[in-house]
Amino acid sequence: MLEIKDLVGGYGSVQVLNGASLKVARGQIVALLGGNGTGKSTLLKAISGLIKPWSGSITFDGERIDGLRPDLIVRRGLVQVTQGKEAFPGMTVEENLKLGAFVVRDRAKTSRALDRVYTYFPILKERRQQLSGTLSGGQLQMVCIGRGLMSSPRMIMLDEPSSALAPQVVLDIFRTIHRITQDGMTVLMVEQNVRMALLLAEYGYVIKDGVIHIEGPAEKLIHDDNVRLSYLGGTVANREASLGTGA
Amino acid sequence: MGYFIDLVIIGLSIGMVYALVALGLSLIYSGLDLVHFAHGEIYMIGAFIGLMLFRHLGIGYVPTLLLAVVLTGIVGVLIERLFYRRLTRAGGGYTVAGMGMIIAGFGMSIVLQNVAYLIWGPKALPFPVPYGRPVEIGNLALPMSYVWIVATALILMFVLNLLLKKTMIGLAIRAVAHNKDIAYLSGVNVPLMISLIFGIGCALGAAAGVLIGPINYVQVLMGTGVLIKAFAAAVVGGFGSLPGAVLGGLLVGVIESLGAGYVSGTYKDIYAFVLLIFVLMVKPSGILGVEAKVKA
Repeated sequence: MLEIKDLVGGYGSVQVLNGASLKVARGQIVALLGGNGTGKSTLLKAISGLIKPWSGSITFDGERIDGLRPDLIVRRGLVQVTQGKEAFPGMTVEENLKLGAFVVRDRAKTSRALDRVYTYFPILKERRQQLSGTLSGGQLQMVCIGRGLMSSPRMIMLDEPSSALAPQVVLDIFRTIHRITQDGMTVLMVEQNVRMALLLAEYGYVIKDGVIHIEGPAEKLIHDDNVRLSYLGGTVANREASLGTGA
Repeated sequence: MGYFIDLVIIGLSIGMVYALVALGLSLIYSGLDLVHFAHGEIYMIGAFIGLMLFRHLGIGYVPTLLLAVVLTGIVGVLIERLFYRRLTRAGGGYTVAGMGMIIAGFGMSIVLQNVAYLIWGPKALPFPVPYGRPVEIGNLALPMSYVWIVATALILMFVLNLLLKKTMIGLAIRAVAHNKDIAYLSGVNVPLMISLIFGIGCALGAAAGVLIGPINYVQVLMGTGVLIKAFAAAVVGGFGSLPGAVLGGLLVGVIESLGAGYVSGTYKDIYAFVLLIFVLMVKPSGILGVEAKVKA
């Protein structure tokens, strides 16, 4: 459904992505892992159109979308939920959600989408008239994910949905993400919480120095020491060498 | 006491004009992070367009107002698209363009003044609108033109509020003003909204021009004095805040009127700045100072 080939890009004169490639099949949940500064968020922003890639291609449902304006990409059914739980504090929960349906003409469709979001996140329904500036971290994250769902996208990209949230809240949110995927959503999820991401995902990619370093089915990656080490630097092979422990 | 109230009424009426201009300034700032120094000239162009429509098309004052406001809004959008937007080519949008954009505003102000001078000449032109007899409020004979100012300004502010609070477009505008990236990711055509915000800001300035024109005559330099006072009004109320712009405008109008009535009429222009300095010392962010924005 989504295919990225040899993506190169960055900010100003700083190159962050050095030829990253990945694929997400329809209905799949894919995790994108990697330490800080490896290019995860940059990759998502290049896909959603917030930054323009310098070279390489991004194809969504057979159509090239690299270089398109972000709102046009939303209209094509691909939505990004940024990290940082960015909502509009001066707007109510419901206004924030309705903004997510900006591209939807049909009032009835918007209404149904709103009901669906409220079934996924009942707390939001209770607090629908509350200003989003007064919400807790977990509730804000729900607003952001809910807002992403309002345009009934075919694929959603989540940037670190667990960041800065208490473990129980993370569990709740991941359970809901799981529900959403069971209803047919395709998901690409950037995460620092490797364990939770790989429990939820079917396939994973690890990005390092702006390229994909390791990839594979989630069950294999969970047990792959190289995944953990890539966050710290090094691989299993040279760790044993530098620690002087031979197999 | 009667004298005080008369002065306040007059001050509120003129204050509504400052409020409209300040509203345009703050709206443009909240949407484009741009302090638009050519806004006074937009006000002037609006007045001239209104005058031309009224004199040569022979239409009534209300259609003149509406048409002049819309036309000037379109002129504003053209200026934004053809000139200011080019300065954002380096990337980062209006926020990053910063000082260059401000200087461009100064330049545009000079250009617009000279264009107006070429078209209409240097003389102050009368804008004779048959308003009718003044309204009697106690001892005060309030000119009908002042009543029109207050009524029109209130209607425009009401409509603006309705737009911003009750429509999807208004929601999109508020989103763009606060965080352009998230607005983009919600499917909003941000460049289009930016043009719309700029156009509405200019339209408000033009409305003020068409409302004042009949009182003070219409001439090429009429924008300069008003811009500085509207700027002071906007800052007093909290630059970027829409309710603040209205509050600031009314305060400047009233303080100015009271100053002229009780202290001295000769240095009438100074009172706005005394107020400004006072507010900046006590609460620099302005009375209804805005929340921190996400620069995007």
